[in-house]
Amino acid sequence: MRDKALQRRWELFLLVVLAAVFCVNVSLSEFYLREQNFINMFQLSIEKLIVVVIMTFVIVNGEIDLSVASVMAFSACVLATLHRDTAVPFELAVVIALAAGVVAGLLQGAFVALMGLPSLVVTLAGLIGFRGAGRILVEDNSIGDFPEWFESLGQEPLVGRFSFALILFAVLIVVAGIVLHRTAFGRSVFVIGNNANVARYSGLNVARDKLLIMTASGFFAGLAGVLFASRLGSVRGDLATGFELDIITIVLLGGVSIFGGSGTMVGVALSILVVLNIRNGLGLGNIDQNTQTGVIGVLLILAVLVPNLVARVARSSQVRRVGEPSPPDHAGGGDTRQREPDLHPTQE
Amino acid sequence: MHVERRRRGNLWILAAVMVALLFAVAGCGDDDDAPADDGGTSAETGGGGASGPVKFEPGKEFRSVFIPKQTGIAVFDQANQGAKKAASELGVDAARFLGPSSPDACVSGQIDTVTNAATQGVNGVMISNCAGDQIEPAVRQASEAGATVVSWDSPIPSGEGESLFVAQVDFDETGKVMADLALDVLGEEGGEYAILSAAPDAANQNAWIKAHKEAIKDPKYQNLKLVDTVYGNDDSEKSYDEALSLVDKHPNLKLIMAPTTVGIAAAGKAMTDEKLCDKVKVSGLGLPDEMKEYTLSGCAPKFALWSFEDLGYLAFYAAYGIATEQIEAKEGAQFQAGDLGEYTIEKDPTRDNGLRVLMGPFTVYDKSNVEGE
Amino acid sequence: MTTLLRFRPERLRELSLVAVIAVAVFIFSLLIDNYLGGSFFNRVTTSLAITAVLAAGQTLVILTRNIDLSVGSIVGVTAYVTGEYLHGHPDNAPMLAVAYAIAIGAGLGLLNGTLVAYARVPAIIVTLGTLAIYRTWLINHSDSRTITSDGLPDWVVDLPNSTLFSFGAWDIRTVVAGTVVLILVLQLMLGGLKWGRWVYAVGSNPDAARQAAVPVERVVLGAFVASGALAGLAGFLFLSRFGTITVNAGNGLELQSVAAAVVGGVNIFGGSGTVVGSLLGALLVNLLDLSLLRVPGLSEFWRDAVLGVLILAAVAVDFLVGRRLGRLATRARGRPAAGVPPPTQGAVDA
Repeated sequence: MRDKALQRRWELFLLVVLAAVFCVNVSLSEFYLREQNFINMFQLSIEKLIVVVIMTFVIVNGEIDLSVASVMAFSACVLATLHRDTAVPFELAVVIALAAGVVAGLLQGAFVALMGLPSLVVTLAGLIGFRGAGRILVEDNSIGDFPEWFESLGQEPLVGRFSFALILFAVLIVVAGIVLHRTAFGRSVFVIGNNANVARYSGLNVARDKLLIMTASGFFAGLAGVLFASRLGSVRGDLATGFELDIITIVLLGGVSIFGGSGTMVGVALSILVVLNIRNGLGLGNIDQNTQTGVIGVLLILAVLVPNLVARVARSSQVRRVGEPSPPDHAGGGDTRQREPDLHPTQE
Repeated sequence: MHVERRRRGNLWILAAVMVALLFAVAGCGDDDDAPADDGGTSAETGGGGASGPVKFEPGKEFRSVFIPKQTGIAVFDQANQGAKKAASELGVDAARFLGPSSPDACVSGQIDTVTNAATQGVNGVMISNCAGDQIEPAVRQASEAGATVVSWDSPIPSGEGESLFVAQVDFDETGKVMADLALDVLGEEGGEYAILSAAPDAANQNAWIKAHKEAIKDPKYQNLKLVDTVYGNDDSEKSYDEALSLVDKHPNLKLIMAPTTVGIAAAGKAMTDEKLCDKVKVSGLGLPDEMKEYTLSGCAPKFALWSFEDLGYLAFYAAYGIATEQIEAKEGAQFQAGDLGEYTIEKDPTRDNGLRVLMGPFTVYDKSNVEGE
Repeated sequence: MTTLLRFRPERLRELSLVAVIAVAVFIFSLLIDNYLGGSFFNRVTTSLAITAVLAAGQTLVILTRNIDLSVGSIVGVTAYVTGEYLHGHPDNAPMLAVAYAIAIGAGLGLLNGTLVAYARVPAIIVTLGTLAIYRTWLINHSDSRTITSDGLPDWVVDLPNSTLFSFGAWDIRTVVAGTVVLILVLQLMLGGLKWGRWVYAVGSNPDAARQAAVPVERVVLGAFVASGALAGLAGFLFLSRFGTITVNAGNGLELQSVAAAVVGGVNIFGGSGTVVGSLLGALLVNLLDLSLLRVPGLSEFWRDAVLGVLILAAVAVDFLVGRRLGRLATRARGRPAAGVPPPTQGAVDA
């Protein structure tokens, strides 16, 4: 479990970066400090942000879900195909599309939680497979012509200037934060992420919790896909391609450890603000998207590098008390925590 | 417990800071997304000239963005050069050249760029649309914010939100040109051929293919048999693999028609690599620079294109004219586009809605002129 | 059963892959005309070279319990700058160009490795970051120019076709033969050299390795440098195969290389797997990919879905069979199952 002090330092680091980005943006463009701009900033990426919230749970739990973007596309394609090819009423089609997301998450979760396969690989298969499944439905076409109410849900503001998706996100992140940090379930997510075996021996139902989280991941990805379809007004097979990297980057930048067991929703929220502001500010400053991506890449590395270096300097200048073991080093970059007892004793 | 309390305290501080930030921003930010004022709108020269084509007065306020399907692709860069040339002739700032950096990011990239442009109150948006219908909401938002949206190379299929589409060539005619190229290469006996296109949702390629399928219904082309259409996504590797798969799937294939500069070059290389050039020829729309060696070797005996630089130039002129209200975007309006000549706005016959300006003819390249470029 | 057990588990895994490939080839040959003819064989083997080289590099990294997501961008960068180099110096010795590509790749890998091994930044984070950074650099550097094949010297462009010898219509091309030899050499190194044992040790249990005086950081650094170098080589092969290099070259190759390694039996948690396995994995993935494109009546849109199922199946079967075999092996042989090649008698080499 990461040092609480380190976590605090991380959030502070992000706050400092946010302030710096803010200043740079203000100086880069006079259009930055407009309310509409801030709203745009969120609404242009709102579907990703919804998935970021659930991805936090997934990663804290010690897993990863690479398939989220593909599940977004899959659900959107299901919705579009039902709308175009069948007489199913649209409202029902939306429900079915959401169910498709649930099924996707459940399927992958079963392999991970019940069979014990590594989530990186299962969701990599899902990333390729569900995108393909969506393509089978939609092929080369762009399907649109959704009902009025659906399109204005995504494109028109609902309350004041805020769209439905934005309001949903705001509620979601607060609820998720409460669940993660204030409930027993949330605590169990941390414990399982830290050491699934210890969790199991302490009586937690690890398989059920992992399955639940992976299924939730599928559901929210499906929801994000449907919302994306409503914002775009039409669906294509390549919807949301590449989103998973952005999503994972935002979560990791938020201080969530890739090995599981630590992280905060506040950190993730700060990370969201940082990344959105960077993209928006640089975009308004007419710096091209390619450079924006590069900047975020550098930031991601710095976000881990800087606290690491600081911690090492602090550690080496600390007088170590007798008997106190030195804090774990991520030697070789790999995870040195206790691994599950080998489920394949024959290591091939 | 002690730690919990401290943590809660920290959480509150962070929350308070964020809320404060939000209020500060909302408070001091202008609440207006009012339409951008293009100051200096001179009252002269209304649109639709009964007085003949309008020559634009330079120097008016015009801030613009020039959005390609993707940055880093040669043809779009050429178009941008043309736009820059137009800008310097018109005495205004060059358009900012912004766009998605990879084909995957096309839809969200273009939407983001258009939306940001709207926020910045630019008055001209020139876009080669890669997002099909999905760009519509963003484009509509931009034009409501006062920007003139002019599409070039690839239009907004429904015509919503755009003032005008600057067409490099007539899209129906493109279909016929492709048919003529096929006829030329395959000869009177005709034969089997296939199309290697770009992205499955590219408005321009899809329109051309549709027109082409119509064109070959003419009895003149009766010996031409179109057997397949595949998509290379404007990606060299994918196009290469698709070209080879076409050959494998259709053993009697004699021609690969690729209406995309990336696809035709990849197909040319694929056929050359596998030493299939005697059997399978390559044609379509290509850049002379990239196709030179294949034309000289006989693999791609004939192909066509137009000048992207002229296209960008014309698009810029058109956008400038409409944005500065020196011309209205309606049927019949005529204007002078620098040294390219006079152009008339007309109804676009290839779409249900929308206006267009037609730029100009194809250039057909073969051994004789491919090196001249 | 016991005859099977005489094989080491990783050999068994490789053999089972060969069996799967054979079955796939058989099924496809029924569906597709002229499948076993020369042209398809040549297609698969030529496109395999790039994937196999990348998969080998990825395997080295995964064996040490890390991952390298930046290989796609490294391929793009090396393909592009090597193309520029060749445009500028068409008369230089061929080996120089290849060395150039490998050196650049190794340098990029060095950055990755330093951050992972010495700065202790988790590999997924470093390589996600460098994936973006290297690509950004490429796009800015290229200034929208595309490398076109007509500027490249003939030997580069002809390389994919140069054939060593042929069995009838089946060509054994230089590039393919070279790749296979490279993989075999790597395999021998991993199995026989001290360094190879270290790689497995670090992946199996870094702490124990450290206590056994294995220079963990150097091993990890070496793995990333090797992965970068191999990606550089793949970049060169990419350049010679496709000729036209746009700024998007290599996009997505990293996931392919991980998929190939995983299908090839490399354990994502490190410590077990072989480069020959990943070669077979790459072969299977490529084979499926290209075969599905050619099945008449099957739309190309089924390709990805099938590929996803394949990867899942490979890992699941791997897991189930591995577990079963492992238990049998442990019982039958009475010694800990292999994963790390058996230590030599006596002291652990320092």
